[in-house]
Amino acid sequence: MVSSDEQPLVHDIRLSTVGPGRVTGQDVVHEPTNMDQAMKLHYLRGVYYFKSQAVQGLTTSKIKESIFTWLNNFYHTCGGFRRAESGRPYIKCNDCGARFIEAQCVKTLDEWLQLEKDDDGSLRRMLVSNQVVGPELFFSPLVLLQITWFKCGGMSVGLSWAHVLGDAFSAADFMNSLGQVMAGHQLAQPLKLAQSHISAKISPSPPKSKDPLSVKRVGPVGDHWIAANNSKMKAFSFNLTSTQISHFHTKVCGQIGTNQIPFFECLCAVIWKVVAKIRDGPEPKMVTISKNDPHGRKNGILSNGQLISIVKADFSIMEANPKELAELVLNQAMDERSTIVEAVERDQGLSDLIVYGANLTFVDLEEADFYGLELKAQKPAYVGYTIDGVGDGGVVLLLPGPKDGPHNGGKVVTLIMPEDQVLKLKFELKKEFSIA
Amino acid sequence: MPPPMPKFSNSVKLKYVKLGYQYLVNHFLTLALVPVIITLLIQVIRLGPDEILTLWYSLRFDFLQILGSSFFVILLVTMFFMSRPRPVFLVDYVCYKPPASFRVPFSTFMEHSRIILSHEPKSVDFQMRILERSGLGEETCLPPAIHYIPPTPTMESSRGEAEMVIFSAIELLVNQTGIKPKDIDILIVNCSLFSPTPSLSAMVINKYKMRSNIRSFNLSGMGCSAGVIAIDLARDLLQVHPNSNALVVSTEIITPNNYQGKERSMLLPNCLFRMGAAAILLSNRRSDRCRAKYRLLHVVRTHRGADDKAYRCVYEEEDPEGKVGISLSKDLMAIAGEALKSNITTIGPLVLPASEQVLFLLSLIGRKIFNPKWKPYIPDFKQAFDHFCIHAGGRAVIDELQKSLLLSPEHVEASRMTLHRFGNTSSSSLWYEMSYIEAKGRMRKGDRVWQIAFGSGFKCNSAVWLCNRSVQTPTNGPWVDCIDRYPMHVPEVVKI
Repeated sequence: MVSSDEQPLVHDIRLSTVGPGRVTGQDVVHEPTNMDQAMKLHYLRGVYYFKSQAVQGLTTSKIKESIFTWLNNFYHTCGGFRRAESGRPYIKCNDCGARFIEAQCVKTLDEWLQLEKDDDGSLRRMLVSNQVVGPELFFSPLVLLQITWFKCGGMSVGLSWAHVLGDAFSAADFMNSLGQVMAGHQLAQPLKLAQSHISAKISPSPPKSKDPLSVKRVGPVGDHWIAANNSKMKAFSFNLTSTQISHFHTKVCGQIGTNQIPFFECLCAVIWKVVAKIRDGPEPKMVTISKNDPHGRKNGILSNGQLISIVKADFSIMEANPKELAELVLNQAMDERSTIVEAVERDQGLSDLIVYGANLTFVDLEEADFYGLELKAQKPAYVGYTIDGVGDGGVVLLLPGPKDGPHNGGKVVTLIMPEDQVLKLKFELKKEFSIA
Repeated sequence: MPPPMPKFSNSVKLKYVKLGYQYLVNHFLTLALVPVIITLLIQVIRLGPDEILTLWYSLRFDFLQILGSSFFVILLVTMFFMSRPRPVFLVDYVCYKPPASFRVPFSTFMEHSRIILSHEPKSVDFQMRILERSGLGEETCLPPAIHYIPPTPTMESSRGEAEMVIFSAIELLVNQTGIKPKDIDILIVNCSLFSPTPSLSAMVINKYKMRSNIRSFNLSGMGCSAGVIAIDLARDLLQVHPNSNALVVSTEIITPNNYQGKERSMLLPNCLFRMGAAAILLSNRRSDRCRAKYRLLHVVRTHRGADDKAYRCVYEEEDPEGKVGISLSKDLMAIAGEALKSNITTIGPLVLPASEQVLFLLSLIGRKIFNPKWKPYIPDFKQAFDHFCIHAGGRAVIDELQKSLLLSPEHVEASRMTLHRFGNTSSSSLWYEMSYIEAKGRMRKGDRVWQIAFGSGFKCNSAVWLCNRSVQTPTNGPWVDCIDRYPMHVPEVVKI
């Protein structure tokens, strides 16, 4: 990616490390739950874009100072993985830290966002790290932050987040508390103190039950936590305005009234049909749905509390009525979380699974508070998220759109699909959503 | 054969014998004079009042002779007082405390090391072993430029670090003592490894708009013992200039000295040296006498540079790849031991009580004349000093001194805890240690403190201070937020 004057678009990259300002102490560990272990091969990559007014007067050293205060509350994200005697991974909270990357961009923020519109996702990759855990488990940071300064004074914050630490809702809370610390607010003390030594869990393995349908076994990946894909995955997104959304919603699910199927399920149905149409081979009869579980979330604690369910269709997808399919997704989704947890428990946490992309996966992140990261009381101009480590089934993310300005009420749909399907998908989806 | 006495009563008996001996020798003059005075008094009383009066009248000279002799006496007394050295007081001092965002935990240091020296796993392992046994804690700090992978030391970032630490320290000192920078008469800055043009002392003068007739000095290249050298220089200047004060700033700038190569003998400083600075205000003014914290009693400097091995044991040079680093030779501890012996031989007579000196003399004579195989008597310095500040050069240095001087763990606690909390801050470490003792509330009026520092050259310098007034536990200072966690047990080997 070199511009005409031979300077790379993003240059002057400097790496350092940030961590908690307070000493965490010796022998403090954090044990990921079974659900966390199931998600360990996935990584969230989010980019928050800020206009220059929001970051005026901010310097790297001021940001770093705030980060050291902020990470006092999240010291387990600054640790490194070790393996217990049984081989089960746990986090040693040794204050190793999160990677901090500084970069400069030759374009202004507006120019960049314009470039991204026509891009295939590789531009955004330059604003966030694509590192994974491993091959050396001990010294792999779990969180990587990239601060990129644009020519106009705008800034982007790139978060690279190991899914084993928590789901996208937790990641959003994590980032939002950085904004609070930078504004000078004190964070509430973490409710959970890190546990002490790992208890030797030798619970009897439950009787052999079926593997959950929403996951796929891969590997073994050893200490390099990324699964190999059969095909290269590419990400692309498109923004939907509120007009397009209501238009689409009415088209698929009928008149606006009571008992209306939510937009997410309608989206799932339509995209499911499109994927079934363009994919070679048998059409996908099962999809995985991931949504927020408001009851499962405790304030201030990072966890993988998202709802994961499977939807099975016993009729032809291509022929199906979108509204029927949407109703199926809404009403017939079966919660698979306990099955997943059991499967991981059976393998004592040693299994290597992927959840996103085992089947065609739809992730509802509408309720994620991505725009809650405020700098100088200003929300980001735009937030984009994608997932790495996705299986060949592909993933569709529904994200909230920008909160201020003319785009209020809009949403963003991001798809991560095998490379060879991207063009056809784009074509079909543009038709569906009447995008020019 | 009589049964052997139980060890306890044996040692108790020995203790009383020692105490008795010490009391006898140390108060010899008093004990000798008392019977003389008593005898005289008895004689005088026996003479009777009439005899005394007759004696008194016969001693009366005429007026001129009395005036002459009294002038003579006054002259002698004045000459005596004027020839005595001016007392040098330490009004106050401060230590720089780096912010938590400069912290370097062990795991971060090792992670960076693995990435930077990715082709040299043996060197990385060596660094890990050093770090595990170093005695440092997880709160020591490095300057921002060294936090980068790879470190980015530039002239600008070195100046940045210098400005940050030196100006913060001086700011603190100005607030604490109320001194105005324009009132400073003498300025001495010592920083061994960073010596820009204009000098760091010029940097201070520029920042604080000091007077044009200030006497400024910049000491560089003199190693970790330069702090004591600076104090010595200040003292000498304060003898020549009456009614003056001196600002001494001791620091070591880490940024330009990060070794980027793989030679093991040169990797040690990277693991041990950390950010720090101290600013000290000395004065010879009478008005400062009451509020000063300490009075400088002695400074003893020993230089072993004449010996080639000693000269080369801490040597800055290029490694086979052309990277500059400071190589430490394997004989460092032995040479340090020798230098220490030289130093205490000189300082012993100045500070040790008569009892110890006599014993030492006897042992010396005995070894020379009777039997050279007699163990040399190590004077008990614990009787001369109440507190010890041993330069926190590394765990090995503190262990070596503790063994040589027969000190208890409490005596070296300040040094060990300073090494743990701040690392090896070079010339300023002595001041962090003093600050620790004050923070623990152990500094009382009349206490004597011995500061010992080693440095390249090879030098061993020591300074002796007398506590002028009881120091209250400070409400600010580098130890204020963590003193409750100390002393803590520092394990021999830390598992990273």
